[in-house]
Amino acid sequence: MTVEIDLLILGLGNVLCGDDGLGVMAVHQLEERYDTPHGVRIVDGGTLGLALLPLLHEARVVLMIDAIRCEDAPGAVVRLEGADVSPAVRERLSPHDIGVADLLDAAELLGCSPTKIMLLGLVPDRMDLGIGLSPGVEAGMPALIDSILGEAAALGHVLRLKPQRGVSDGARLWA
Amino acid sequence: MTHIVVDPITRIEGHLRIEAEVDGGVLRDAWSSSTMFRGIEIILQGRDPRDAWVFTQRICGVCTTVHALASVLAVENAIGAEPPPNARLLRNLITAAQFVQDHVVHFYQLHALDWVDVVSALSGDPAKTSKLAQSISDWPLSSEKYFSAVRDRLKGFVSGGRLGPFANAYWGHPAYRLPPEANLLAVAHYLEALEWQRKFIRIHALLGGKNPHLQSYLVGGMATPIDPNSENAINIGTIAALHEIIADARTFVNQVYIPDLLAIASFYKEWASIGAGVGNYMSYGEFPDAGGPNPLPYLPSGIILQRDLAHVHPVDPGQISEFVTHSWYEYKEGNERGLHPFAGETHPTYTGPKPPYDRLHTDGKYSWLKAPRYSDKPMEVGPLARMLVAYAKGHPQVKKAVNGALAALGVGPAALFSTLGRTAARGIETQIIVDKMSDWVDALANNMAQGDLRINDNTKWDPSTWPAECMGAGFHEAPRGALGHWVHIKNGAIGNYQCVVPSTWNAGPRDARGNRGPYEAALVGTPVAIADQPLEILRTVHSFDPCLACGVHVVDANKNEIVLVRAV
Repeated sequence: MTVEIDLLILGLGNVLCGDDGLGVMAVHQLEERYDTPHGVRIVDGGTLGLALLPLLHEARVVLMIDAIRCEDAPGAVVRLEGADVSPAVRERLSPHDIGVADLLDAAELLGCSPTKIMLLGLVPDRMDLGIGLSPGVEAGMPALIDSILGEAAALGHVLRLKPQRGVSDGARLWA
Repeated sequence: MTHIVVDPITRIEGHLRIEAEVDGGVLRDAWSSSTMFRGIEIILQGRDPRDAWVFTQRICGVCTTVHALASVLAVENAIGAEPPPNARLLRNLITAAQFVQDHVVHFYQLHALDWVDVVSALSGDPAKTSKLAQSISDWPLSSEKYFSAVRDRLKGFVSGGRLGPFANAYWGHPAYRLPPEANLLAVAHYLEALEWQRKFIRIHALLGGKNPHLQSYLVGGMATPIDPNSENAINIGTIAALHEIIADARTFVNQVYIPDLLAIASFYKEWASIGAGVGNYMSYGEFPDAGGPNPLPYLPSGIILQRDLAHVHPVDPGQISEFVTHSWYEYKEGNERGLHPFAGETHPTYTGPKPPYDRLHTDGKYSWLKAPRYSDKPMEVGPLARMLVAYAKGHPQVKKAVNGALAALGVGPAALFSTLGRTAARGIETQIIVDKMSDWVDALANNMAQGDLRINDNTKWDPSTWPAECMGAGFHEAPRGALGHWVHIKNGAIGNYQCVVPSTWNAGPRDARGNRGPYEAALVGTPVAIADQPLEILRTVHSFDPCLACGVHVVDANKNEIVLVRAV
């Protein structure tokens, strides 16, 4: 394994489908407001599947940000780790059904799995066609950003606030 | 009569559902349905047309570049912007890279498991596999030791219970015909293709800057500068890197993909007379020459009707219309008439059963896809359509490659109209395109050497240069087939936007006259040995490389279920 990225923060989901895009929106917000320290990469992975394999190959730890459905109320922060991640992402029917679970399988088949994989996200509310988050999920976004910062800090990566908020095309368009 | 429901068709994007009637081991009728509403058109209304491609890029996780390009082309067509030669070359290269990567991934990661039995590969003899490999190709990874290691790796994976991509299949099904060593060879190349594509994808980073979503499109041209002397542009170093990556791809396609395709096909020749479908084929043409205002495409446009290769008809976009007779939409003027995309309407009205349900109302509306027709006829689009049009028009490279493949399999041109023909055409097309790519790199290098660094026509960037109202269409051949975007711009903003995508042409439902769509027609007559293991249905559907986009992608923390094939 070639480790060039110590921590990959990977936003996933479809921004055209409401709360499904919360992971992508979170990484755009993160990029707008925080400097990316050395060793960290922040990537908008959208609904890409195998195209993400090169990134996974280079990463030691992967923190995936996504919509996670469970019994908690919409907007609640959910965190999964290790063996719990793969079954949870199984249902994602992404590119050709080679979704995130299959991306992880492919990495394993090739012997290039990251040493640690975490999944962090919010419980979605509405996922029908449309751009923008539902109110409950919108309200949960600051807690999600804080959780991402906390996970990064626990791995020794401190993301510092930019003196001035940057402008991300993604954040402009998906807002 | 057995009623089979396959929902969703596995290993594809989005939500595709096939319902089929099987009697006496043969499929008698089929209905293809998308159970997911997609309506990018609604999202785009009122937005800046120069931003449209960024949104359309998100329609589909595998087809990002194709929807971006079709959108840019449509807006350029509407406002009269003319991309300079370098922009066309860069677009050709990005598109070609998408074709090559998609087709290889389709063959190995999505389609091969319909023909290759992974469990049988476990009993493949490495010595015999090595002999087989060396008899079909010069590819160096072919020793007994190598295949022994691959078998051990596969055993480790399977015995660890981590079946992963191999979990959801019909291993041991009688329709699998390959001997164990051929299965082992194919599994080895399944793994190699994964590794190869991981490296090949870097080509998009070279051409498009920021990975993984391309950022380099621009209405009027491209946003990636070219400059031989700049670190932050496509420069001499990029040219060398492109040549290297393309040479590797050529070797992989010629020494792995094509020999595997022919070897596997030789065990399944009966599939050269199964799965023909509607027999009408359409290609918009792709890979424009760099020069001139009306560039000729390297792969020609045209229409073939009723499998008649002696006549290729020109494509008249005015003949395209979409029907909603069997789709969950309502047209204002009634649902019996088709509408041209410029007059297109997207008013969803779901009248299907309340989920979960066993059967769709296939007599009435049963799909979220509209039914596109050309001159009221269903058209198959994709690699087979492109190769047939090029073949019939006498394209020298395509003719040579197609005749070579037919001779290797000992079959005639009629074999092309089939499930196997569709799968073979995809491989042939990969070969044609990967062979052409370095010409475009050379042309780019040439332009750079002569000081032509133009990548963008910005004379039409400012909306004040646009007419108050204008319309345009963007025609593009995506790996999966003919893709059109139609845009109507009013006072600088998008008034109407319609996409007619390849999977809508191929997977769409019946029209007002009850004519089946290409999937539906291709499935009729397919043998189905075991009703609750409809492997044969998957073969034909997967041969089209289905991609129903904009799936809602939600992780479920409590559930773990994929297999939804049910015999009802």
